[in-house]
Amino acid sequence: MTTFFQLIVVGISTGSVFAIVGMSLVLVYRATGIVNFAQGVFAVLGGLLTYSLGQHMSLVVAAVLATVISAVAGTVVAVVAVGFRGRTTPLASLIITVGIALLAEALLLTAFGEVPRSYRAVSDHAWNIGGVLVQPQYAVLAVVALAAALGLTLFLRRTIVGQALVAAADAPRAAELIGLNLRSVAVIAFAIAAALTAIGGLLLAPTVPVTYNADLSITINGFAAAVFGGLASIRLALLGGYALGVVEQLVVGYVDPQYNLIIALSVMLVLIGWRSRGELAL
Amino acid sequence: MTLLDVRDLVVRYGEAVAVDGVSLEVDERERVALIGPNGAGKSSVLNAACGVIRPASGRVRIEGHDVTGATPAAVVRRGVSQVPEGRHVFATLPVEANLLLGAYGRLFSLEVVSSTLTYLRSRTEVRQRLDRVYDLLPQLRELRARPAGRTSGGQQQMVAIGRALMAAPRLLAIDELSLGLAPLLVQQLAEFLVRLNEEEGVAILLVDQSASLAFSLCQRAYVLETGRVTLEGASRDIEGRTEVRSAYLGSDTGDQA
Repeated sequence: MTTFFQLIVVGISTGSVFAIVGMSLVLVYRATGIVNFAQGVFAVLGGLLTYSLGQHMSLVVAAVLATVISAVAGTVVAVVAVGFRGRTTPLASLIITVGIALLAEALLLTAFGEVPRSYRAVSDHAWNIGGVLVQPQYAVLAVVALAAALGLTLFLRRTIVGQALVAAADAPRAAELIGLNLRSVAVIAFAIAAALTAIGGLLLAPTVPVTYNADLSITINGFAAAVFGGLASIRLALLGGYALGVVEQLVVGYVDPQYNLIIALSVMLVLIGWRSRGELAL
Repeated sequence: MTLLDVRDLVVRYGEAVAVDGVSLEVDERERVALIGPNGAGKSSVLNAACGVIRPASGRVRIEGHDVTGATPAAVVRRGVSQVPEGRHVFATLPVEANLLLGAYGRLFSLEVVSSTLTYLRSRTEVRQRLDRVYDLLPQLRELRARPAGRTSGGQQQMVAIGRALMAAPRLLAIDELSLGLAPLLVQQLAEFLVRLNEEEGVAILLVDQSASLAFSLCQRAYVLETGRVTLEGASRDIEGRTEVRSAYLGSDTGDQA
């Protein structure tokens, strides 16, 4: 039973990262109609940058810098994915983001090497709750995921900038007609999503060392979490992330560690198949 | 003074010529209609004037400023707001957010931070304009918290008009006011537009398939056929010409089939 709860705890922590990536994907999709398959790159970038910068400064400062740099990288991806002029179709944008992901892996390999990187967690002491070890890092991840969900929801519902993002997705033509610039809207969404994913990635690195090519599995897991809510709901992406993380850990613990990406892919495909028959089709 | 001046406008989609040398003027405080059968190029004229599509040739000026090929945002800032065909409200956002975005959009530029700060600084002004729009369209006040997608077709048309008015336009360009709406509702909206024009001084450019609506609402009209203006003048003069009824506008019963 202790093993079971231990797996759940670890599952919630990795699930928090899936949730964070999933919510980032939802944000970008809601604002632009683009599925950003390079989203996981920002998690890797966040982790590797924090490691490298952390050699020269405190980890906290390194983490903040890594987040900011990731946001800037996000704006670049936005401009490329949305197209320099005119409107790129969502399909073309998706293919562009896949290309960006491949290119980014090569760049990350050149810049940071292939050694998995890790660094100090927020605390070295684990809490022992009835035999179940809970790393404070897990708690931080879970809190950040919850805060991100709350923050994003409030941002999209209550702030004029967030509402502009929703408006651009709801009726792009009308959004343009009232003066909104669709490319600016895309840039905001990509930048926020990149920063958020970077935070998730840099918080994960202490428990799961980050390598240059980890982005694909992070993206797929995040996408599976996001599809749980039809790519439209922040709240369901959060729940989807947790659920996926827990299920994967249970399979890793009781069946075979090799299966975790297969689980994410299966969950994703089943959800897409199920959703596409209902009214909430992708 | 001429508010909107469209000169020798040509719009092409690939090889197809949709608009073939159309000239059109709307003066300040004027109500003008652009009518004609389906596919005559009415919406193309409007969209070229509003910066949605780039004309192949010709000029668009707003109060003497050349806005040919400018962005929709630039046209909005010059004082021309469009109510798009099919309304296109922001369905998942509350009615009030739809309206406020109309004010935000006018201030929106590539620099999001500065445009947002400008918007927040002019909050009292925006609030006053919102109250004015609510006074003009009282139904919207009652619906303010409801997602715009969950209001009726007529209410959505009001949201779209209110949203355009939040940008404080000098000219309201309306694409297909009557499309898909019940005749009584269209009548009410038309009365509202006349009042808006007379009390607030907002000029109206109405693009519609319904000739009866256009003639009752507007002082002047242009009849467009296959991309060319075939008739223009005072509504009552054009209305009297029987060939207009039969040739271009079908039997004029006001229905939209």
